This record gives sequence, C-alpha cells and structure tokens, in this order.
Amino acid sequence: MEKRQVRNNIRKLRFMNNEMTQEQLAEKVGVTRQTIIALEGGKYAPSLELAFRIALAFGVSLTEVFSYEVDDEQK
Amino acid sequence: MSYQEKNVTVALVSHLLILIYYLFNLLPIIQSGEWIASKLYALWLVVIGTTILVTIIGSILTNIILSIFEAIRSQKYEDPRFITDERDHLIELKGIRIEYITYSIGVLLSIFVFIFGQPPLMMISLIFVFGILAEITGDIAKITLYRRGL
Repeated sequence: MEKRQVRNNIRKLRFMNNEMTQEQLAEKVGVTRQTIIALEGGKYAPSLELAFRIALAFGVSLTEVFSYEVDDEQK
Repeated sequence: MSYQEKNVTVALVSHLLILIYYLFNLLPIIQSGEWIASKLYALWLVVIGTTILVTIIGSILTNIILSIFEAIRSQKYEDPRFITDERDHLIELKGIRIEYITYSIGVLLSIFVFIFGQPPLMMISLIFVFGILAEITGDIAKITLYRRGL
C-alpha cells in the first residue's frame, strides 16, 4: 500500500539556528509549543501558510524544510 | 498539557457532573413511570441553565487560575497569551464531528423509543441525555487527539 507523508527538517534546522528552542520557534511562527512537538514528531502536517512561516523563520526555502515522500509498502 | 487541553478537561468534568445530576433526578421518574410534565420542564430548565453557567464560569475560572500559575512560573506580571492555533481548530472540528455523530445516533434511538410505545416526554428526556453524552464523547475525543499529537 502507498503511504504518503510530509516530512520535515525542523529539528535539524532548529539545531543549526543557535539551538533554537521549540518555544522560541513557536513564538516566532505564532503557534503553541505542542504544535511544534507534533510537527517534529511527524504527527501533524501543517497548513501551507504555517509551512511558509516556518521556512521564513529559518530563512530558508520551503523545500529545505518540508518534503513530500511516498513510501511504496506494497508486498 | 496545553491551555486548550486543560480547558477541555474542565469542560469534561463539568459535563460529567451535569450528566450525573440529570440521571440522578431522571432515574426515579423512569422507575416510577410517572411522567409529570411540570416536574420534567423544571429539571430540563435547571440542566440547560447549569450547563450554560458552568461552561462560562468554568472557562473564566480556568483562565484566571492558569494566568496565576503562568505568572508564577515565568516570574512575569504581564498578561500571558493563551493562543489557539490551526491544530487546536482542527482538533475542535474533529471533536464536534464526533459530537454530532453521537447526538444523531442518540436522537434516532430516542425516536425509536417513542415509536415502540413510550411516552413523548421520555423521548425528549433521552434526547437531553444523549445531548450531554455527545458533549462528553466530544471532550474525550479532543483530549485523546491532544494526547496523541493529532
């Protein structure tokens, strides 16, 4: 079965940006810390607007933060 | 636990208390089989009034208490921002969907009770029970979604 998932590099980017905390990122993009935790854990796919805000917070392009992957698990 | 999660937990507890109060008053009526309209109208009025009051007061009290705790934790005297974001809205919508499904099934069951010869007052009483049950189901669904991440 095909499994589609939005993956992200938020954790890595936070680390590369002076070890920015989840709280700091949440404040920058206007969401709760719980949402950042859910995003990093891959449990929640953000809206396009939030995705752009996160990319802007890190000063990188959208594709550097998010990627869309299709895992073909058909056996 | 986020601000929204705490708010939903308070709502769940108040809805449970209202359901217990309602059933505590309704069960003797069902057992006796005396469906006195004036008695039931008074009970429904109390339940509806209490639900509205408890929801408003619960929300205000939660806000005040959380603000105090937040001020103590952060050592700041400014008004803390309890923001709701898109994930909160999504969880809210999913909770409402589960509430509507539960309530629809409940109304359908209540109508069947009426069709099978029970008095109309019993049907309306059951609709109230399922209304509160739907709220509880929605609250549980929201808490579960918050705990799971979504």
